[in-house]
Amino acid sequence: MIHYFFLALLSFGVAMKKYVLKRVITAIFTLLAITLILFILMQLMPGSPFNDEKLNESQRAALYAKYGLDKPIVIQFFHYVINMFKGDLGVSYKISKNTPITQLIASRLPISIGVGFAAVSIGALIGLLLGLLAAFKRDTVWDTLATVISVIGVSVPSYVFALALSYQFGFKLDWFPMLFSAKDVLGSSVLPSVSLSMFTMASIARFTRAEMIEVLGSDYMLLAESKGLSGNKIVFAHALRNALIPIITVLAPLVVDLMTGSLVVEKIFSIPGVGSLLVNAIQSNDYNVVIALSFIYSAMYIGIMLVVDILYGVIDPRIRVAKEGD
Amino acid sequence: MKKKFLSIMLASALALSMIGCGSSAVSGVSEQKDTTAEETDSAQADNATTTDAGESSGEDLNVMLETPVESLDPQQATDGTSFEVIADYTDGLMQMDADGQAVNALAESIDVSEDGLTYTFHIREDANWSNGEPVTAADFVFAWQRAVDPEVASEYSYMLSDIGQIVNAQDIIDGAKDKSELGVTAVDDKTLEVKLNVPVSYFLSLMYFPTFYPVNQAFFESCADTYATSPETTLSNGAFVLDDYQPAATTIHLTKNPDYYDADRVKLPGLNYQVIQDSQQALMSYQSGDLDTTLVNGEQVDQVKDDPAFKAIGAGYLWYISPNIQEVKELQNVNIRYAITMALNREAITTDVLKDGSAPTYTAVPMDFAAGPDGSDFSADQEKFKEVCRYDADAAVEYWNKGLEELGVTELTITMIHDADDAPIKVAQVVKEQLETTLSGLTVELQQMPKKERVQRMQEGEFELGLTRWGPDYADPMTYLGMWVTNNSNNYGFWSNKDYDAIIAECTTGETAMDASARWSALYDAEQIVMDEAVIFPLYTQCNAELISTSVSGIEFHPVALNRVYKDASKN
Repeated sequence: MIHYFFLALLSFGVAMKKYVLKRVITAIFTLLAITLILFILMQLMPGSPFNDEKLNESQRAALYAKYGLDKPIVIQFFHYVINMFKGDLGVSYKISKNTPITQLIASRLPISIGVGFAAVSIGALIGLLLGLLAAFKRDTVWDTLATVISVIGVSVPSYVFALALSYQFGFKLDWFPMLFSAKDVLGSSVLPSVSLSMFTMASIARFTRAEMIEVLGSDYMLLAESKGLSGNKIVFAHALRNALIPIITVLAPLVVDLMTGSLVVEKIFSIPGVGSLLVNAIQSNDYNVVIALSFIYSAMYIGIMLVVDILYGVIDPRIRVAKEGD
Repeated sequence: MKKKFLSIMLASALALSMIGCGSSAVSGVSEQKDTTAEETDSAQADNATTTDAGESSGEDLNVMLETPVESLDPQQATDGTSFEVIADYTDGLMQMDADGQAVNALAESIDVSEDGLTYTFHIREDANWSNGEPVTAADFVFAWQRAVDPEVASEYSYMLSDIGQIVNAQDIIDGAKDKSELGVTAVDDKTLEVKLNVPVSYFLSLMYFPTFYPVNQAFFESCADTYATSPETTLSNGAFVLDDYQPAATTIHLTKNPDYYDADRVKLPGLNYQVIQDSQQALMSYQSGDLDTTLVNGEQVDQVKDDPAFKAIGAGYLWYISPNIQEVKELQNVNIRYAITMALNREAITTDVLKDGSAPTYTAVPMDFAAGPDGSDFSADQEKFKEVCRYDADAAVEYWNKGLEELGVTELTITMIHDADDAPIKVAQVVKEQLETTLSGLTVELQQMPKKERVQRMQEGEFELGLTRWGPDYADPMTYLGMWVTNNSNNYGFWSNKDYDAIIAECTTGETAMDASARWSALYDAEQIVMDEAVIFPLYTQCNAELISTSVSGIEFHPVALNRVYKDASKN
């Protein structure tokens, strides 16, 4: 008996390693492909990063030469990738002239991640509670209310929440600062985090409700109840645990949605994060900044997806087997 | 029992989250739609009560910025925000007075040679950098050489070559000569000599432009590549000292410089900049007292226009429509062009649509930025070209019918490209409506696009009509008139006129350049040609709608170079 178990574990390890390796290699090539596509897209954007109106042809040529933009796109790409592996993402051409992008990002990424993490935490926690409430009080006024909130949260974009919350709780009630402040990071992160968390909260609530209802109606819950287990234990040890598995998987794409939402929300609250940086960079054709940030966003996306896939494989062996069969 | 506890807990969590999000969001949105005058009143009341609280944190002036600083390196910066902040802590040889005239700053006295080709600046003895080093002539030589150095590739190098006409500047930019051959020398520590190719009547007014600001070479080299990226890597010789900044920062802080030679004049203890890119947030921050001045967006003007703090500040930009004269057959017909320019009701555009104080303009050079030898504004007389540029629907129809007849058609469809920004979208729609109403048989199709794309299409001649704008680079009509010479990259219509080119050349490098008043009247002749041929259809001179708290006084606003100067500003 023990012998069999050991064998299974061993085979799991080898298969898992192979699976992870395959996924990591795919991820690296995907990222390279994304970078190349970004380079080509940048080239297609009208105008240059420089002050198009005020510069004549020869000045523009001089600037292109200075930054190596006069070279063929393929060469630029290889230069970029080689430098990237050395940890050099180039310099900004416009929004913060000649500043190394690694320096720009180093001070800003932690702020964005902080706000994003707060948003996911708030969203997941409240969403879970809402979903549970709706599931346990199914077909009551609580359920309807939870559904209404979920629908609003899913359908209203985060920047509308941002402006509305800022108006109500920043301007009218003066509970929280309207703008991000380095002196009061916690207080001034409340409104942006809450605005960003709405979509996550609503999605999690809907998902939790559906999963809980399914689990609560399943045979093993009936068995657990007939064993005479108490309400709490049934909810937490059996129902919630089983319902959580699919919820973890939706959390991943939600984190990614959060990153895109942060582009606008950061701009509204004047948060010195990477989102507002990306928006400004796109508007001024600041090639290197756009490529570097898009790369980071893509890497985060792919990374999160990878982690979730692997976790999911660990939690539920059926998935792993199916994927291996591909 | 436990189940009951759980449900109560959940219910209260739900209730809490509803207060926190759902309900407020709904009410917030509906109130937002009709932000009424009532709300502004209450906001003002709020403002009155919160200013006291603001004072406890000092008397710093809180200023809103629309965009972050792009560069604090004076030879690399090109945008108004960067220029403003650089000038807060750096003085040039000259600075602007309240009227935009050049007055001595670091220069104590100036000798100009009789032929107007040599300028000798004597630098103040008491001018020092914030590290204690004196400001010397060598600091200017170093900075100006950087400005034309092809390795630095400054975007504003043309300020020294085309515009400033400093000896050898162009050759150095082109790589034909070494930067040490630039026509600027440090005669001694405090004497700077500048040699020009031709007399430049507005040369002194260029000296307040940050591209010409000094840089201390030893300090610059000690910073290596990090110059002007933090308070530690900047030196001040001006009214304030930078003490909080990082690249692309959303907040910037400066403190009064006690060692400034003119420190007695500076009343503010400090300046606090806050970048806000959302107009609603900016207005609310102003109304809650967090800002002393803010820019007001076109849609908010109605809401605040009766506020005593509301002001229209001249921005210098001329908005105009450029017809593509070379490529579009119909627009080659001058009668069609007259018809269009006379069918435009500029008053209606500024008073009914923009409402921000922008002024209808009937000249090729906008108002209030260039004063002539006699001190009067170049474009003060807006009726100068009324024969060819005015609002006159009847005359427009007459020209229109004549033009159609000459073309042998009865209907015309013209597309107009414009920026996908707030003001241009609104202006383009009114222009379309005005033209189509007055000129029967005309259809104007609008195409909106990002500004970069619009500029590119106009530079490549891929347009019919283009709604565009131009901001003055220096206080002389040439910053506009220089655009319409043959083959200039901003001559979007590819218009070409030998007489015009001759006048402009004569005023730039010829005999006329030596005689200020003859040059002035020659520039009028050039403008007359542009208007007679309807090369552009001027629309309006832009103003920015701003709220400036009534407790603040003395901020100087300029349409050229330095948009705001705080040296004389105070806050009660």
